[in-house]
Amino acid sequence: MSRRVPLWLALPAVAGLLLFLVYPTGYLIALAITHSSLAHPLRSFSGAANFSSALSSAAFVPSLARSTVFAVLATVATTSLGLTLAVLLRARGTKFGVVGALLLLPLVTAPVLIGVAWKLLLAPVGGGFAEAFWAIGVGGFNPLGSGVGAFLVILLIHVWQWTPFAVLISFAALGVVRPELLESARIDGAGTWRTFTTVVWPAIAPTQWAVAVLELVIGYKVFDLIVVITAGGPGFATTLSPYAIYQTGLRGSFDMGTAAAQTLIFAAVVGAVATIVTATRARALKAEGS
Amino acid sequence: MSFYLALGGRGFIASEVVTTSPFSRRRALQLIGLAGGAAVLGPVLAACGSSDGARALAGNAPVSGRFDGVTLKLLVNQPHVTSFRDVLAPAWKAASGGDLDVTAAPYDQLTSKQILDVQSGTGEFDVFDYFYFGLGDLVDAGALTDLTAWIDTNKDKIDVAGFLPSIYDPYTLLGGKRYGLPYDGDVHILFYNAELLDRYKVEPPKTWDEYDAVSAKITTDAKGSAYGAIVSGQQVPMILGCSFINRLTGYGGELVDANGKPALTSDAAIAAANHLVAVAPSALPTPLQIGFDQANQAFLSGQGALLDTWTDMALRAEDPTASKIAGRWGAVSLPVGGTNKTPRTALDAGFGLGISTAAKNPDAAAAFVAWATAAAQNLSVSSTAGAGIDPVRGAVLGADGYAKVVTKAIGPIREGLGGRPLVWPKEAGAPKLLQDLVDQLALAIAGSQTVEQSLGNAQSSWEKSLT
Repeated sequence: MSRRVPLWLALPAVAGLLLFLVYPTGYLIALAITHSSLAHPLRSFSGAANFSSALSSAAFVPSLARSTVFAVLATVATTSLGLTLAVLLRARGTKFGVVGALLLLPLVTAPVLIGVAWKLLLAPVGGGFAEAFWAIGVGGFNPLGSGVGAFLVILLIHVWQWTPFAVLISFAALGVVRPELLESARIDGAGTWRTFTTVVWPAIAPTQWAVAVLELVIGYKVFDLIVVITAGGPGFATTLSPYAIYQTGLRGSFDMGTAAAQTLIFAAVVGAVATIVTATRARALKAEGS
Repeated sequence: MSFYLALGGRGFIASEVVTTSPFSRRRALQLIGLAGGAAVLGPVLAACGSSDGARALAGNAPVSGRFDGVTLKLLVNQPHVTSFRDVLAPAWKAASGGDLDVTAAPYDQLTSKQILDVQSGTGEFDVFDYFYFGLGDLVDAGALTDLTAWIDTNKDKIDVAGFLPSIYDPYTLLGGKRYGLPYDGDVHILFYNAELLDRYKVEPPKTWDEYDAVSAKITTDAKGSAYGAIVSGQQVPMILGCSFINRLTGYGGELVDANGKPALTSDAAIAAANHLVAVAPSALPTPLQIGFDQANQAFLSGQGALLDTWTDMALRAEDPTASKIAGRWGAVSLPVGGTNKTPRTALDAGFGLGISTAAKNPDAAAAFVAWATAAAQNLSVSSTAGAGIDPVRGAVLGADGYAKVVTKAIGPIREGLGGRPLVWPKEAGAPKLLQDLVDQLALAIAGSQTVEQSLGNAQSSWEKSLT
């Protein structure tokens, strides 16, 4: 069956695409191949100079790998924790309840407020955890004081903030598992783990993969926590790519050309990783289907 | 099912099942087309690109007058809000009939917001409270009005000779033209908590070695109740840059030599950076996370003994509503080190008032800039706790009224501003140079690389830009 659609009906969508996708992308590409500062965008054609500058940046190049590690770890943690919590919530009944609503609080709180709150809690002097650190004999300890520590702290806060998103989606997905299938599995003598792997997981796997892809993209986009809590430091330990691009374009050098080139490179990296995850998802779902 | 789109009477059918290889010939052609389009697009857009918006104020523009009903819009450094909103605005209303509408920007975003205001065409503001090391970028962006003719014509009325020689040119002069008048004469001195020094029987340090010894003793003996030093090391030029440059001047170094070449690998620079690394273990944890607010709060609450910071700390420290150490603090000039025996400070930050090239009320803005930087107003804001302003005029620096409010800090303040402070680079691109420097210093402090590697990298970056 086929259906004729007049072309003019597509005009709003085409206009939207031109305005919100084609023009910004074209402008970004134009910035990336011209000498462009904040004050003087599109000053003169520069060829690949901005890409060369981007790839020689001491802050940006390592940030690509750092962002990827961050996003992958965050995805694994948020997705698995989210599913676990959703299963536990589902075991209590079909309603999300007060506990579920409380779990959502980090998700609905402004990221800047989350950053400020955690920064105050972690302050080595006068911070919310300072007394506890003294009590356990590590007075003056600053988890943000070392590179590894600061990276892990940002990761933990991000996981704390975005796990509720995975909980919400996973809880809804668990609702589609038919009770009679669970009952049949129980009658057949399947244990909890066996029931989960053979009955529940096949039903929710597509949703879980979607959650993973979304969490991956969210993990790549972390910016506000970095600005508020560590400003990319110590050193470059928490300089993830969005922050490095912001630094290039809007702080210090105001070099919009290089920032645009960095944005395109970063988009390519995110696209590549997302493609790998999506391909893995397709392969996994196909294997389960067969 | 498939979807059919009518296309001028013709159409195509997209099958519901489309099988494509990850990188087909069609995809390759699309990418080549995209790259080719971009190559064409760039030069075309570049031809339509931005242009300079240079503008000069006429020599006969007013330096005073009535401006009833005129509201001047100011974009100012956030710590200066009190000085404009609470001190100057009521006085300006009484003096001219005009109003001030003050907008604050965080210090690390001030220059970019000022550039964007002009470059975006918004043109919301008349007056910019500008950071002097961003002067080159602001002028390059065409954001600041050239005031040369106006200042030259009215030099007596403005009392140009009354500005401190140590800051007048650095804050206002670029490429032979003047773009503003000095508003906040920022230098650092060393503040100390007298009670902590007395308790642990140590003297205010005169050298950086003595500073280390004082810091180590207090931190060790206090067993966590206080720290010997507060080192502001947040990775931005205004914070870590100041801490490094304070030590650099102490060891007798310069950022650039007499020929304009970077001098970041000099013995003095290495000694200064080594000092930042060495003092970290006895300083308030953790220097790289300590910014302006954390440092001030720690010092004013009595948690740290030594802090090199801006001179207006004297007013904060003596204000019992904000300070737990009122009456129990002191100040000395920045320590010296190595072979250098003469204390010297640096123009750490520092602000001027300029007129936006997009100003809607340039005459009123000019009169306000002249009025706000006059001796009477400079004394008024410099003597107000929390205003964050330091003297820019010799008459204010020498005034008894100012000495009375800064009490024990007056000696080192006069020595610093009256001396030959080190001037930061201010040409276009200077903020990037300083960011490169603090990025490298942070790596050294974090232990990721040696001091020599860090300064060598910073030197290379500066050489590329300055030569």
